Amino acid sequence: MRWRHLVLVGLILAPTVIAAASEAAGVSVRDAWVRESPPGMTMMAGYMELRNNTSRPQVLVAASSPGFEAVTIHRTIVKGGAAGMEHSPQIELTPNASLIFAPGGHHLMLMNPKRTLRAGDRVDINLEFRGGLVLPVAFEVRK
Amino acid sequence: MKQISLKFSLMMTTVALAAMLAGVWLAASDREGVSRAVLLPDRAMTLFADPKPLTDFALTDHQNRVFDLASLKGKWSFLFFGYTHCPDVCPATLAVLARARDNIAKNTVGAEAIEFVFISVDPNRDSAGKLKQYVDYFDTNFLGVTGGNAQIADLAGQLGAAYQVAFTPGIENYPVYHSMSVFLVDPQARYHAMFTPPLDAETISRRFMVLRELERAKAT
Repeated sequence: MRWRHLVLVGLILAPTVIAAASEAAGVSVRDAWVRESPPGMTMMAGYMELRNNTSRPQVLVAASSPGFEAVTIHRTIVKGGAAGMEHSPQIELTPNASLIFAPGGHHLMLMNPKRTLRAGDRVDINLEFRGGLVLPVAFEVRK
Repeated sequence: MKQISLKFSLMMTTVALAAMLAGVWLAASDREGVSRAVLLPDRAMTLFADPKPLTDFALTDHQNRVFDLASLKGKWSFLFFGYTHCPDVCPATLAVLARARDNIAKNTVGAEAIEFVFISVDPNRDSAGKLKQYVDYFDTNFLGVTGGNAQIADLAGQLGAAYQVAFTPGIENYPVYHSMSVFLVDPQARYHAMFTPPLDAETISRRFMVLRELERAKAT
């Protein structure tokens, strides 16, 4: 019966250990993807789930990528029944919470890709936070 | 241990059986749905009891053919306003519409009598060639349409589609605002229904197929 207790203790401790590991990482990113664009189009969008694992607010201030001429932080907003994009100079991440970049909401606007990106390709984008933290993230191109 | 796992597997079997029965019931009520359905007002689709006849307008499609009121007659048309320099809302919407078209084509005969039209409100950047490249990527059956600003404004106005192009000479990436809704025009070229976001391919295709059945029944 002893091993069952050990398993139980392990199950209780696991989340604590995982939480401690991410706390060190500060901000983590999951499910990072770029929508494949029709041929010849110069504008693409990147999405992800950002998580602030710290107990302080973290501020995303910029993004850059060797794969694109320019990367800006945008948000789709609805004004008078019409949707448009608005540049977000910075985005604050609440402590210990997630913020989702998703179609119709926050997104990274990716301008002039340096090569044709097709579903399955990977493209690196660096997320820059206030205080100097730079998080390199591999985005997967999806259809 | 044995006892517990036996109880557990019995429980799982019951859950699985219940799920299967629910599935069969749903499938059956769905089949019935088409003949007996009444479309109730909801958030996904606004249905007009008194569809509004559209008046003439003149645009051009991605093969430089005329796209006007006559082009809408004799088929159901799904219209969406956007622009090709749109990385977020437009590709997401066109991908949903491509899936909705697939669903309709798979489930019914006469899918050829449906048109999906992407109307660019940004003729300054969207040439016929560019529109062709753009719509073909999502579905080669889609039609890309644009034209003079006054004509775009005319059709958008008839459908209540809001848009604004903040065209600035010399600035490449000027902002464009456009309605996120999908407008459904019936074979008599009347504005019949509107789908509002969040758009979902399954909802759009199912509602449309029920609506089309109801309209067919009315016609006979």
